[in-house]
Amino acid sequence: MLGAPGVPLLWYQMLAAILFTIGVVGVLVRRSALVIFMSIELMLNAVNLSFLAFSYHLKQVDGQVFAFFVMVVAAAEAAVGLAIILVIFKNRATLNVDDIATMKD
Amino acid sequence: MLEALLFAMFAGTAIGCALGVVFHRNPVHCALLLVGVLLNLAGIFILLHAQFVAALQVIVYAGAIMVLFLFVVMLLNVKGETPLLTPGAAKFFGFLFALIVFVEMLWTVLQPGGDAGAPAAQAPLPADFGSPAAIGRVLYTVWLYPFEITSILLLVAVVGAVVLAKRKFV
Repeated sequence: MLGAPGVPLLWYQMLAAILFTIGVVGVLVRRSALVIFMSIELMLNAVNLSFLAFSYHLKQVDGQVFAFFVMVVAAAEAAVGLAIILVIFKNRATLNVDDIATMKD
Repeated sequence: MLEALLFAMFAGTAIGCALGVVFHRNPVHCALLLVGVLLNLAGIFILLHAQFVAALQVIVYAGAIMVLFLFVVMLLNVKGETPLLTPGAAKFFGFLFALIVFVEMLWTVLQPGGDAGAPAAQAPLPADFGSPAAIGRVLYTVWLYPFEITSILLLVAVVGAVVLAKRKFV
């Protein structure tokens, strides 16, 4: 393949796709709100890997800067999301997302 | 050759840990396996000459964010009470849609005109590629406004977390 000597860009993209898919499975299939959050972190990291692979491939640092922004968003999301989870657990004493779908009924 | 070997090692461990994150019953183990994924991805980042991002991955992600996760998991102490997977048809459709997403991504990546086939930039890799100096130069010139906006985002997140933690919700 073209690209970086050693490991072709395609492999990095495949790895990112696999990790992202595992994250999607976690969000769609798991019922614990905490594990769904962890799956989202997994997806963000897969995207980061894609950014960095393209950054190396195109020899431009901009992709790495984008990886920073993704990390900042992940940190903000974790802080607010975990605070929301704490409040939900205080009120409902459950983390099962099927039981806290209050907008539905 | 060595690079390919290291890549295979990191990638295999990362995928194994990621499967553990999604399918393990105990949330504490899930969080620790996610730390495993993050550390292996940091190794792959170093293969991609992104040393600074790899260091931040270990310090900020594995060090700070995951400690926050573990803290909440242990504070709530919920294990075993919620069912592991969503029941019945929802589980089937969850796996089906994930498969569709995966096939779509593979199709995009493997397309002959897709980005993975784009020729690499001809210029040789700069000597300081991935160093804090090189990243900072781009971050504080080209991406200055997005950088300032992320600082506002972080401020909003801090304020939001404090408000959520302090207010009484009925």
